[in-house]
Amino acid sequence: MSSEGAPASNTPAWARIVIVVLLLIVFLVGIKLLGGSFKMVGKETAKSLFEGLRNPFAGLAVGILATVLVQSSSVTTAVVVGLVGGGELSVGSAVPVIMGANIGTSVTNTLVSIGHITRNAEFKRAFAGATMHDFFNLIAVAILLPVELTTGVLQRSAVALTEMFAGAGGVAFKSPIKVFIGKLAGVIVDGFEALGLEGWACAIPTLACGLLFIMAALVFITRNMRVLLAGRMERALNRALGRSGILAMGIGVLITVAVQSSSITTSLLVPLIGAGVLSLEVAFPITLGANIGTTITALLAALAADKTDGLTIALVHLLFNTAGILLLYPIPAIRRIPLRMAEFLGALAVRNRLLVVAYIGVVFVLLPLLGILLFRG
Amino acid sequence: MFKWFKPSDAGEGPARMHRELREMLAHGRHTFDAAANAFLGGADPEVVRKDIWDTDAKINELERSIRREVLVHGSVHGSSQLPVCLVLMSIVKDAERIGDYSKNLFEVAVVSPKRRGDEYFDDLVAFRTRISTAIEEASSIYASQDEDAARAFLTESGTMAKEFDRHVARLLGDEPGTDQPAPTVLCYRYYKRIVSHLSNIITSLVMPVDQLDYLDEK
Repeated sequence: MSSEGAPASNTPAWARIVIVVLLLIVFLVGIKLLGGSFKMVGKETAKSLFEGLRNPFAGLAVGILATVLVQSSSVTTAVVVGLVGGGELSVGSAVPVIMGANIGTSVTNTLVSIGHITRNAEFKRAFAGATMHDFFNLIAVAILLPVELTTGVLQRSAVALTEMFAGAGGVAFKSPIKVFIGKLAGVIVDGFEALGLEGWACAIPTLACGLLFIMAALVFITRNMRVLLAGRMERALNRALGRSGILAMGIGVLITVAVQSSSITTSLLVPLIGAGVLSLEVAFPITLGANIGTTITALLAALAADKTDGLTIALVHLLFNTAGILLLYPIPAIRRIPLRMAEFLGALAVRNRLLVVAYIGVVFVLLPLLGILLFRG
Repeated sequence: MFKWFKPSDAGEGPARMHRELREMLAHGRHTFDAAANAFLGGADPEVVRKDIWDTDAKINELERSIRREVLVHGSVHGSSQLPVCLVLMSIVKDAERIGDYSKNLFEVAVVSPKRRGDEYFDDLVAFRTRISTAIEEASSIYASQDEDAARAFLTESGTMAKEFDRHVARLLGDEPGTDQPAPTVLCYRYYKRIVSHLSNIITSLVMPVDQLDYLDEK
């Protein structure tokens, strides 16, 4: 049983809905502040800060490590949208970071599976259940990153979709929401400027505020939504137990959209897989649904971005995860590859517990660190 | 799809599992009635055999379903729901055992049904009715969570248990009062176990989790 359940509370549902709406505003203000903070030090200076990310492998490594550190791909992708939307980071440089965030986010459920380590059969299942997500994401990146680097297909498709949406009346980019968010962010920046801060002195607290707003808002949105929808999540998971395929994937999407965190969804599955009531075959599509559902955060963040590039990178995130599923899920023989790899690793992990530490340390910390050291510009 | 995002709370899962537990008890009552009737000559064993086994299969499936739901509930809601999860895991076993003991009673009925005119016959018939009613009562008390009714139920079940023990002691003695003591002892024993499992379910309303099943030691 996961100890990180939905916290019990007597706060009425309507109050929680109001809180979530306010937190969404805080989140969007955070994105706006983040994008705006770098403008205070000049466009060229800001761009030079992200020079290192021009190497795709460095970008991938940063995406993994940043997500492992904050334990949330939503935070990483939202920050990336803020930076791309603010013009500090190009879409091309941001794509590998987004892919890295997908890999990094799977560390959470792998850590959750360690809770079963004292019971062999349970741990074997739980670890396999957690690492199938890792393997899916690693395989998807191994295929799609080279394809993207050589063809730019994801970016071009996302640009086409962005133009389609922007051309349909600029719903996202001239909306009252954006004007309202801009005004709120302006009040905070004006406050710093009123203190006589300018240039870097103003950019740093603005950036800090932006990051703090994004992280705090996402943490509390997740917490509140989890309480609000715990009963529905439970019912959905109960329905998913005996099913597989598209319905299970849909359940993964819905739960993740609701709680704004794929880690919550995938971590919920681990104890059920460990207990043996949920098979890898049924849990797998739910996990893939979580990959799709988590892209909602970046799409939301794009609402506050100055440039349409923010929406483009958010759509790249969606397209990347969709393409991964289309490549690896429909054909049963291919679908089984990440599952068999996870089962194999689970069997090895039961025989040698040190392998668990080595696996997490190498894949989620050591390799990304090496990637940053070797490939940064 | 938007309906999916309507707020819902942690009480939904336990409420559903409690309904399923009551369904188990209703099936348990059905199997008990059929088995006791077979033993007491009110039904042909071969006619009710399939019904008893099929109903017991339903009880077993409901037990497995509740266990799965308990795991999901605990995973989603975490430690705040740990007590309800532990209680449910414990009492579904009690509800499931009613079906098992009814089957045991039926097996005795197949070999050696009780004949009218036996000294114990009327007593066993009276207890059959009391136990059948007690299963329904336990289900209602559990649904209402009425602690006073729970305590009254436990007192009544304690009284019944003492009566069963008294009969068994006599049946195992030198003057059993019947030429078929073994099936009669088994019947009283199964009656007692069924009442005992009903008591275990009801103790969950008035006792701490660690004291479940140990009312007699208090």
